[in-house]
Amino acid sequence: MPRYGFVIDLKRCYGCYSCQVSCKAANFTPRGIDWAQCVPAETGSFPTALRQMLPLVCQQCKEPACKEVCPTGATTQDENGIVLVDKNLCMGCKACIMACPYGARQTVGDWQTYFPDAEGELDPYEAYAKKQWEKKNGYGMATKCDYCKDRVAEGRKPACVESCPAKARTFGDLEDPESEVSMLIRREYGFQLNPEFGTDPACFYLPPR
Amino acid sequence: MGDEMATTTTVQEPNVKEDVWINTSCGGCYAQCGIRAHRVDGVIVELEGNPETPAGSGRICAKGTAQLMTLYDRYRVNYPVKRTNPEKGVGVDPKWERISWEEAYETIFEKFRNMKDPRGTYFQATTVQTSEIRFAVPAFMKAWGFKNYWVSGGGLWCGNGAHFMNGIMHAAWSIIPDWNYNKYTLYFGCSKGHGAGHAALQSAQWAADARARGMKAVVFDPFLSTQASKAHEWVPIRVGTDGAVALGMINVILNELGIWDAPYLKLKTNAPYLIRPDQHYKRDPETNKPLIWDPKAGRAKTFDDPTIEDYALEGTFEVDGTTCTPAFQLLKEHVKENYPLEKAEKISSVPAATIRRIATEFAEAAEIGRTITIDGKEIPLRPAAAIFFRGSQGHVNSGWNCLEIDLLNHIVGAADVPGGSMGHGPPVSFGHPDTGKPETVPYACPDGLMTVKGWVYDHKPYPLREPAPPQRLDLQDLYPCSVYNAFTICTPEWEKYRKDFNIDYEPEIMINFGSNSVMTMANAEGVTENFLKQFDFVLSFNIYQNEFTEAVADIVLPDASFLERYTPCVTFPSTFCHPTGMDHWVWQIRQPVVEPLHERRDFNEVMLEIAKGLGVQDKYFQAINDLIPVRYGGEMDEEYKLDPSGDYSWQDISDRVLKDRLGPDKGLEALKKTGLEKWPTKVEEMYWRWFTPVRVPIYFEFFLESGKKLQKLLSSFGREDMADYRFYTPLAEWFPCPSHEEEDPTFDLWAFSWRPSFHTQSSTQNNPWLDEVSVNDPFVYLMQINATTGKSKGLKDNDMVWVENPDGNKIKGPVKLVEGMHPEHIGIAGCHGHWARGTPISKGKGQFFDDLINPDLAHTDSLTQGSDACAKVKIYKVAGR
Repeated sequence: MPRYGFVIDLKRCYGCYSCQVSCKAANFTPRGIDWAQCVPAETGSFPTALRQMLPLVCQQCKEPACKEVCPTGATTQDENGIVLVDKNLCMGCKACIMACPYGARQTVGDWQTYFPDAEGELDPYEAYAKKQWEKKNGYGMATKCDYCKDRVAEGRKPACVESCPAKARTFGDLEDPESEVSMLIRREYGFQLNPEFGTDPACFYLPPR
Repeated sequence: MGDEMATTTTVQEPNVKEDVWINTSCGGCYAQCGIRAHRVDGVIVELEGNPETPAGSGRICAKGTAQLMTLYDRYRVNYPVKRTNPEKGVGVDPKWERISWEEAYETIFEKFRNMKDPRGTYFQATTVQTSEIRFAVPAFMKAWGFKNYWVSGGGLWCGNGAHFMNGIMHAAWSIIPDWNYNKYTLYFGCSKGHGAGHAALQSAQWAADARARGMKAVVFDPFLSTQASKAHEWVPIRVGTDGAVALGMINVILNELGIWDAPYLKLKTNAPYLIRPDQHYKRDPETNKPLIWDPKAGRAKTFDDPTIEDYALEGTFEVDGTTCTPAFQLLKEHVKENYPLEKAEKISSVPAATIRRIATEFAEAAEIGRTITIDGKEIPLRPAAAIFFRGSQGHVNSGWNCLEIDLLNHIVGAADVPGGSMGHGPPVSFGHPDTGKPETVPYACPDGLMTVKGWVYDHKPYPLREPAPPQRLDLQDLYPCSVYNAFTICTPEWEKYRKDFNIDYEPEIMINFGSNSVMTMANAEGVTENFLKQFDFVLSFNIYQNEFTEAVADIVLPDASFLERYTPCVTFPSTFCHPTGMDHWVWQIRQPVVEPLHERRDFNEVMLEIAKGLGVQDKYFQAINDLIPVRYGGEMDEEYKLDPSGDYSWQDISDRVLKDRLGPDKGLEALKKTGLEKWPTKVEEMYWRWFTPVRVPIYFEFFLESGKKLQKLLSSFGREDMADYRFYTPLAEWFPCPSHEEEDPTFDLWAFSWRPSFHTQSSTQNNPWLDEVSVNDPFVYLMQINATTGKSKGLKDNDMVWVENPDGNKIKGPVKLVEGMHPEHIGIAGCHGHWARGTPISKGKGQFFDDLINPDLAHTDSLTQGSDACAKVKIYKVAGR
């Protein structure tokens, strides 16, 4: 079976937040929840300072720290290496959130509208989004990026990959040495974030310069 | 609506009655990318890029995706309302009262019918909905008989100087690098390829490809912008001094390195034209054509003489007893004498050695002499480009700054050839293969210089307009190169100006389409009190109640957003949407993916109703017939022209325009299915420079005459003071802004504004998804200041400070100490700090930079009337914080 992985090319990324916003739209994540968060940072000092965006997704670790600590068995890995949360088994203890070294998990208390000052019912889009969220996820439980598992099953790419204007994101099979992701990692010095955590992420980054 | 628009059907979920994808065009910024909208049971649930179009090439940015939240935003204006509070002004509560469409129309008709003079109408429109304003705005202006307009991006946020100079030098609205072949680009104060709306998404892709390939980018900017953060080198520079650096570079290239593209200069510019001691062309007495010196023949010939064997670029020559010098020689001497590197360093703070090194890299990267064969045609390859936009042109030296940077391209022959700096949107189009439309090819004036064929506004960039007694309320027609004049209308002098120039009518009615000019022209009080409050009646089409409507609108009509309306021509005229290089032309439409929600109605349809209600529909239809050939290249076929005595709906008009431009089988019904029509580009279109027999100036002889005419005209009204005639010089000069000449040492910082890539002018800050991004980003809602400078002032992150200019205008906000900032500057994200009641999400977030801007004569480019958007400031802690 393929092990799905990401390559994010920091050289191509210019920090436009398309991934973060398209993820929100594709997964109907509630207010304040971003599974593909972008983290801007400045390093160095004037005049040779650098600014670089670090776009995140769930690292879909081979040895996930979140799974290890889950007391109910709600966290599992599917045949493609995607780390999943069973909404019926998760009791919302947040142990996984504490354990994940990449900050990939969040919980949602309740649906909050983006238009809190407006009177009346939710607009048709928010009503639809709420329904979609509740169908797949819920409140109180741990939620996270699943590499757009359902879209991928339909033959599409994860939303953040499809939207990226700079084509900085590549999605594919890490087990296949001929796949684009494998070749990029091999040829362009792909690296994992904090490999010392020992969780073996499926997300690789290419150096910014 | 319905099945006929479906382009793809996805897997149906149980109980889902309808599940379709519809192709249309984004309206999140002026790039107009092609998108697909996913509609489920009448609700748009997803937007994505349309891979079928080169305008976006299947990608979508944060602004585009987030438009869902704007469509369904519960704070939007959904019903017509009228102002019940007679008081107008910044921050006033208009006390809106809902009215019916019938009442709105009746009031509007009555106000127009009771006008003292229809010329007193003023149209103001947003640049974000670029394509929407092509028809309704100019057609209504012609029909009702007035000439006053303002496109709100056109003030502080757009390009009087840039578009004017690009029009003269590239027959185009803007310039971008040809990333397909480029190896080295100099960026001056712009973010093209990094979120700017210039073919935004394809440019981003191609720029990333070029980066991955090893293209070297050097960015001149006061701060570590998005562009600079991706570049090989960031060169911190004082705001507004780009032109001085460019002139220093030209000096290095011509006088130290001795590098130039002689064939290009001889054949594609006026570099060989002979100049008399009085700075004018030496002309042939018989034909009046400018002369060049043929060194092989040893005599002067007209520039287009077919017997010319060679052109002299250097030396001096005696012609009929006059000592003449080729323009190139004069430019070379001028930069040597007047722009030594020490001077460029003193002005810009960029070390002379850095300027010299970068000039050398640029000139060598151009690889002068190389060629490439594309589609069997061998043309020069020049993989170096120098580009600019807002940052360079928002200054007193607006026009010249742009030109000076662009001259770098022309000296090395890197203009509209593979790898170089490209006119954008591409200025040469042979049209659709079936119709030959839209067709536009620049042509030569009698002096051999390039003239654009179609242009997006009425006067072309060249030949310059004849200065004339003004008819317009902003006195625009006085000036030879101006598009808009903020300095006249936004100052307390406006009434006096009108009196001085014998304008015999008053401002009466303003029609505003989508603009929020209270936040985009200059300081809010000045714009409101001096300009907007002078109108008796203000009609506004908006999607939000914003700072403009709350300050001055009398009636606000609920506009449809771009997902609720038809627009027949989205990607032409191609100002911002077509990528450069060999790909496809695309004609996109915009169509309603959902019917307008609530009582929203499309601006275009409402303007047509107003024209009908006022009894000028015949003139309106005739105006459309007149406008289409100018805007969309080529005469209309008789059968598709509108009959002025006929009656058409907006959809009828759209259908006719489409059939006329694309062919009888490509009317509105056909285009609704696909959303677009595309055809391949040709090498002669994309890389047109060597295929098109035109020259461009490196020596602006025609400015001399224009300046004299302007001076004479202004003097005749007793207002000789209204221009600085030194700007009308044939050789490029750098002129300082007031900020560069501020003598009070307590004003020790330059304030400037910048645009985050995920915002569009003042229109996106209330979008909740983009607000989340802005909160997440540490540089958007805080004012950036160099860390060392900040510490020396006793500041730390989040300290609240006042930023105050020498006129006493001040703004307040928290600071962020950063390393990516020139030590003498404070950078503020533009168009933030909203205060309208109707936009609660954006209210109070970030700062309103424009309050520091006073668009008086001293802060205006005398050449293009562009506004200076920098200020010298002092900053100090807010007491008690």
